[in-house]
Amino acid sequence: MWSDVGVWVAAILTIAVFSLLYRDNPFYRAAEHLLVGVSAGYYLVNNYEASVVRKFVVPVFHQGDLWLVPGGILGLLVLLRLSRRAQWISRYPIAFYVAAWSGYLIPSVLQERILTQIQGTIPPAPWNAAPGALLGALVLFVGVVSILVYFYFSAPHTGILGGVSRVGIVFLMIGFGATFGYTVMGRVSLLIGRFQFLLRDLPASLTGP
Amino acid sequence: MTALGENPARPARGRRLRERLGDVDRRVIFLAVGLAVALPLIFPLRLPVAVSREARAYYDALEQLKPGDEILVSFDYEPETMAELDPMSLATLRHAFRKDLRVIALTNYPGAPGIAQRILGAAAAEAHKEYGVDYVFLGYNPDYSATMLRMGESIRQTFPTDHFGTPADSLPLLRQANSYADTELLVAISSTVMAEYWIIFAGGTFKEKVISANTAIQAVLIYPYFQTGQLSGFLGGLKGAAEYEKLIGREGDGLRGMDAQSMAHLLIVCFIVLGNIGFLLGRRERGREGPGRGPAQATGA
Amino acid sequence: MKRTGPVVFGFVIGMLMLIQHFTPDPWINDRYNDVLDWKQIVFGTTLILGVVSLVTHHGRKVARRGGGWAYSLLTLAGLAAMPAAALAFGSGRGPYLWMFDHVQAPMQATMFALLAFYVASASYRAFRARTLHAALLLTAGVVVMLGRVPLGELIGLDHVSAWILDFPNLAAKRGVMIGVGLGMTATSIKIITGIERTYLGKGA
Repeated sequence: MWSDVGVWVAAILTIAVFSLLYRDNPFYRAAEHLLVGVSAGYYLVNNYEASVVRKFVVPVFHQGDLWLVPGGILGLLVLLRLSRRAQWISRYPIAFYVAAWSGYLIPSVLQERILTQIQGTIPPAPWNAAPGALLGALVLFVGVVSILVYFYFSAPHTGILGGVSRVGIVFLMIGFGATFGYTVMGRVSLLIGRFQFLLRDLPASLTGP
Repeated sequence: MTALGENPARPARGRRLRERLGDVDRRVIFLAVGLAVALPLIFPLRLPVAVSREARAYYDALEQLKPGDEILVSFDYEPETMAELDPMSLATLRHAFRKDLRVIALTNYPGAPGIAQRILGAAAAEAHKEYGVDYVFLGYNPDYSATMLRMGESIRQTFPTDHFGTPADSLPLLRQANSYADTELLVAISSTVMAEYWIIFAGGTFKEKVISANTAIQAVLIYPYFQTGQLSGFLGGLKGAAEYEKLIGREGDGLRGMDAQSMAHLLIVCFIVLGNIGFLLGRRERGREGPGRGPAQATGA
Repeated sequence: MKRTGPVVFGFVIGMLMLIQHFTPDPWINDRYNDVLDWKQIVFGTTLILGVVSLVTHHGRKVARRGGGWAYSLLTLAGLAAMPAAALAFGSGRGPYLWMFDHVQAPMQATMFALLAFYVASASYRAFRARTLHAALLLTAGVVVMLGRVPLGELIGLDHVSAWILDFPNLAAKRGVMIGVGLGMTATSIKIITGIERTYLGKGA
């Protein structure tokens, strides 16, 4: 029974949100505010359970892992951001967090986002590749190089530099077009999901199994 | 009569068409989109779906595993992208359970545990799988990058308990699989850059084999990783879900949504064409209205 | 203490995380894992700040009976209901999960589904081939849009779309990726060395 009630509640809220398409109205506003509150509450509970209970309380008090105590102290110091006088103390955990992330990011990004990607851009030797594959690899090489030249703003884009960067712009436009096509696809898919719910799950809750 | 010989009381046909095209209320457009999506769902066309190379690679990555192999599945999406990713998640778990793979599920998003619980529960019940032995749900862990790196050392220390509070040490599946080295594959089901970070941290640092199921918006960004082999296969958008459902031989919301997807795309292409017809007509008129109007105005730029 | 202290602290932590990548020393590896664990605890507590801000904003509106205060009351009620349900019935089942499945998830999904309508409207009203570049973008978009659905596959556009995605699109995404990767690396180095301090807030 609660499942059927849930389907009806979901359907009413779905239609309330869709009502914005006609015009702004109190039903939409109420649904929007309810969503903000419920989702904030959901994130609060899940974060509390994940970071406070499972990452601190359980390991420290049930498993005796005292190395996590400094982490708990840093976590508490973050909350001092709410105090005007002691706000500066919260810079320590923020600096800790941002610097730690930066530290382990450098080798990973250099390897996976830059070096491996450059490796993948080098065309194969002509005697090792099929003609179609070689053409594609050359298109890829020209595209990547010209785009990187376009993003080099330390010199004016004139002469050869200007010509190469204009080729880069062409590749960028095609890339943006592909992104636009996929963006439309993604948005339409989300709408299909809601319509599948309204046209299938809602009637099914009326007619039963 | 104007200099061009037109009667101002009866503007040229081109101008009438352009004005009509420009005057369409956006709610008419909304209604057209709604109908383009709803009607094929009610009256399916059953258009055939072709399978892409990327989806085939995703399928093969799972298909070539042996019964008893452990895989990691990360549900990195929230309700706003459920429509695209739920079909992929369900199909992946159906495939995995059909092959008797053992699934260690987790998530990096605080809004995802409810989704993961629902999908895991449904797939496991269908396949009569036992919690703790055939699959576990570790739940949400804060800070995705730290989670991904920490799991390389120890999954049990990264997740001291599962999502339901059961100590990780007491779960049979986690006693056997405690790091990437103990698993054969990682499936990143992701609505954002999370798939990329799995490739960078799990795939790069720990050489874990990674496949990903992405929203359409993310899929277009992930091609470079597939080309270099850093990603062993991927699905993109609802079409990707449809392709995968076709490969596993089980129709789901992906395949069912393809007709609506086709019609909506066709409609939007028609809108683009109509909008540009109106624009080109306007540009031609401004060109004809000639002296006193500079080239910028004439080209409509 | 207020300005230099956090920067020095950040330098030590950042260098530890960077050096760990290059050394097999077990002590450094253990400290590296500790830092990862601490990071997760810190991340979780930062969300509490966001919730405090939300409660303060809406609480003030309700207290002063400001415009739309009834909506703010609804927000606060939703915010209170979830932890209350989790405390009373647990977070893995019951009303907490019911509210997620039947209140939050449908609304969140529908909010994003609205974008399909706005994308269609924008395509009609704003997407114009004013220049050669715009025409190129538009053509690629249309080909990919049709090529990636069954309708386009019937007329052979899937092969053209696949070629666009595998070559020019890949080149574009890779170029941007390398550029962003270089930027991320440079910014990370600036953060560790203390050149970049804006993340510490005003006065740092």
